[in-house]
Amino acid sequence: MPEVMENIGLNEPNGAEGSNSATYLTFVSDGLHFGVHTDKVVEIINNHNIRPFPMVPDYVRGVINLRGQVIPIIDMRLRVGKPYQEITAETCIIVLEIGSDIIGIVVDSVAHVTDIDMNQATLIPTENRLELTRYMVTDENGTVIMLLECEALIADNIAM
Amino acid sequence: MNNGTDSLLETYLFETNTLLEQLDELLIDAEQNGDFTEDNVNEIFRSMHTIKGSSAMLEFNSLMEIAHHIEDLFFYIRENGMDTLNADQKSELFNLMFSSTDKLREEVGKVENSEPLDTNIESFIDNINAFLTNLQSTGNGDVQAEATSGSSGSADGEDAVAAEMKLPYLLHIFFDEGCGMENLRAFMIVTSIQESDSSFQFYPADIETNSDTSEYIIDHGFYLGFKTQEDAENAVSHVSAAGNVRSYEILDKSDALEKKAAPVEVKEEAPKKTDAEAPKKAAKASDNKKKKDTPAAKQSLISVNLSKLDALMAIVGEIVITESMVTSSPELKDVKLDNFLKSARQLRKLTDDLQDISMSLRMVSVSSVFQKMNRIVRDMSKTLNKDTKLTIIGENTEVDKTIVDSIGDPIMHIVRNAMDHGIEDNVEDRIAAGKKPQGEIILSAEHTGSEVIISVTDDGAGVDPDKVLAKAAANGMLTKPEEEYSHREILNLLMMPGFSTNSEVTEFSGRGVGMDVVKKNVESIGGVINISSEKGKGSVFTLKIPLTLAIVDGMVISIGGSIYTVPIANIKQSFKATEADIVLDATGNEMIRCMDDYYPIIRLYELYGIEDACTSIEDGILMWVEGGDKSYCLFVDQLIGEQQVVVKPLPGYLNDFNIKNSGISGCTIMGDGNISIILDVVNVYNAARGIY
Repeated sequence: MPEVMENIGLNEPNGAEGSNSATYLTFVSDGLHFGVHTDKVVEIINNHNIRPFPMVPDYVRGVINLRGQVIPIIDMRLRVGKPYQEITAETCIIVLEIGSDIIGIVVDSVAHVTDIDMNQATLIPTENRLELTRYMVTDENGTVIMLLECEALIADNIAM
Repeated sequence: MNNGTDSLLETYLFETNTLLEQLDELLIDAEQNGDFTEDNVNEIFRSMHTIKGSSAMLEFNSLMEIAHHIEDLFFYIRENGMDTLNADQKSELFNLMFSSTDKLREEVGKVENSEPLDTNIESFIDNINAFLTNLQSTGNGDVQAEATSGSSGSADGEDAVAAEMKLPYLLHIFFDEGCGMENLRAFMIVTSIQESDSSFQFYPADIETNSDTSEYIIDHGFYLGFKTQEDAENAVSHVSAAGNVRSYEILDKSDALEKKAAPVEVKEEAPKKTDAEAPKKAAKASDNKKKKDTPAAKQSLISVNLSKLDALMAIVGEIVITESMVTSSPELKDVKLDNFLKSARQLRKLTDDLQDISMSLRMVSVSSVFQKMNRIVRDMSKTLNKDTKLTIIGENTEVDKTIVDSIGDPIMHIVRNAMDHGIEDNVEDRIAAGKKPQGEIILSAEHTGSEVIISVTDDGAGVDPDKVLAKAAANGMLTKPEEEYSHREILNLLMMPGFSTNSEVTEFSGRGVGMDVVKKNVESIGGVINISSEKGKGSVFTLKIPLTLAIVDGMVISIGGSIYTVPIANIKQSFKATEADIVLDATGNEMIRCMDDYYPIIRLYELYGIEDACTSIEDGILMWVEGGDKSYCLFVDQLIGEQQVVVKPLPGYLNDFNIKNSGISGCTIMGDGNISIILDVVNVYNAARGIY
């Protein structure tokens, strides 16, 4: 198991008291900005050979061999019902550790790591809400970042 | 908690559990023989002593107290011999011991789960004490004479001591009651006398090293032996100076010493006589001893943390893969390297051996699981008043450790069910049905190739299909009209969630959570469970379980751009065919003739939606596979080769998609780093036919 958390540099989530700040990795998928808590991120890889897997929903692109470990790969675009896009030089797989599961998500590109004050986060209005997200924040450049609910990523399978 | 205590706790739990398990086996054996042998008594005494000591060290007081009192009890039995107990007391002793080991196990379980220990063990200890008092007071003549008939009895003891030391003058010392550490107090007196005097002996002799002697001293006092009366009187001053001495007395045994030969002979004869009176018993006891000797012989074993073995397996798997990566490296393809190939072959052989050995490390016999069933059958036959014996066959069958761990609960459920529902309530019913009055449950295990088959057979009443149907109908579990259910389907109803044939809930089974949990557990380790039963004759529960989950001999095949692995065990034959060989059945399914029979063809690329695969029968190859009761032909593009593969379980995420039902049992990483999917031929068939 890759124990090394690429906890990409910055502050621990409990670093600043009171302000309830957390570190998020942001990425882009079909023009939308998403954020995922860095505690969940194991590593970012690109250019990996994905082995297609039969008899699964289309958003499960397949599995990869990550140093001897078999990891399922989910396409973020297909998962939230966006059109499929061929792999580009920018395409990355973000490997997430969610509970005991390790999965990879395919994203168009990785943006950066940013501190988000959770008190600023607002609920996304239900009618505009994409699957897997509940809160959003606006960063200093005015970009809207939707925060990914990692547990939802793996949980709603069971219902299917 | 720091690491030090953790590993200490781990060792403690392991040791205590092992001791309790051994104790259970010993008790079962002993109960079957109706008696404890001297070895048994010593063994129990030692086990309890160890448990007491280590529990005290870790401050698990309830455990320590219980073990302590059992130790006391067996100390008494050891001193006086099992023969002093009458039959009632023996059976009471067995029951007491079983409940004690249960209590101990319960407490150990609490330690394991870091729950608070039971502090209210008074009543339990009172039970043990009451039994001990009962033994002491009602014990037969011999014991009474020794224990209560006062001066003459104790004089005998003194004579014996005097005889042992061959010294005429004895100083008999008693310490204050409850002062504790009597042996060490005695030793202090000994050292203080040693400073002034030289020639004397004391009894018990090993007071410095053996703390058990303190109990002897409490009961019988501490003896100092001197050659002359003068020496003895000198010693008195030391004794009186020492603390906590309740009483002391100088005894002149010079004449007793001379005539001691006679009484001692009488004493030795007494036990002989009882032996002679029961020659059968003695013979039985020695038989038991012989039987016991063989399994009791200690193997040289070490216990290893399972996670280390897992890590070893993972590394060995990687080595095997890396080895084939090196030797089949594309850069070497067109180079002629005789020496390299020779060494590569040697390396291949060594890695194969390494793999075999590391696999065998994880193999353990199922006997530990089977032995536990002894206890369950014993308890239940007592409580339910159904005389039943358990016959165990093939308990030395070896399976992977993880499998042994996970079959314990299912087997236990099945055995309980067999006892509770299977064996008839009344002996008369059995006799009327022409069976032996004593019920029998047979627990057997055997290897068949890559599987181990465990079966639980009872000769009880069997399953009544009508009752099962009626019950299922009452619970609203039927999905089609009653008369359409086949016998097999009816039996399978037993394993549906929420089904229980007993109307009332009993202590052992009847909550209706049993069989469906059993089924789930067995399936989670890749096994299959099967029930067959005939009303009035009994039932058989058969578990088919893979030997190991970790390694498979597989045939690597390609379909389009992807590779798959089919377990060699399932492949019967591979062959080329032409369009002309294929016939269609009434519904348009393809079939082909092999060995005078027709088998369906399944085209994997159709099932899995692979686009770039061969579609013409002439271009690909047919593989005749068989698994479970299914036999059919798979159509694939190409055979790549045979390879041993290390099975990687599917990621948990994918399991949620019911992937097992689509015919995929796992995946493996090939020499070049690609992932191959391992097929499960039974489920491929089911998926292709749309039946799950």
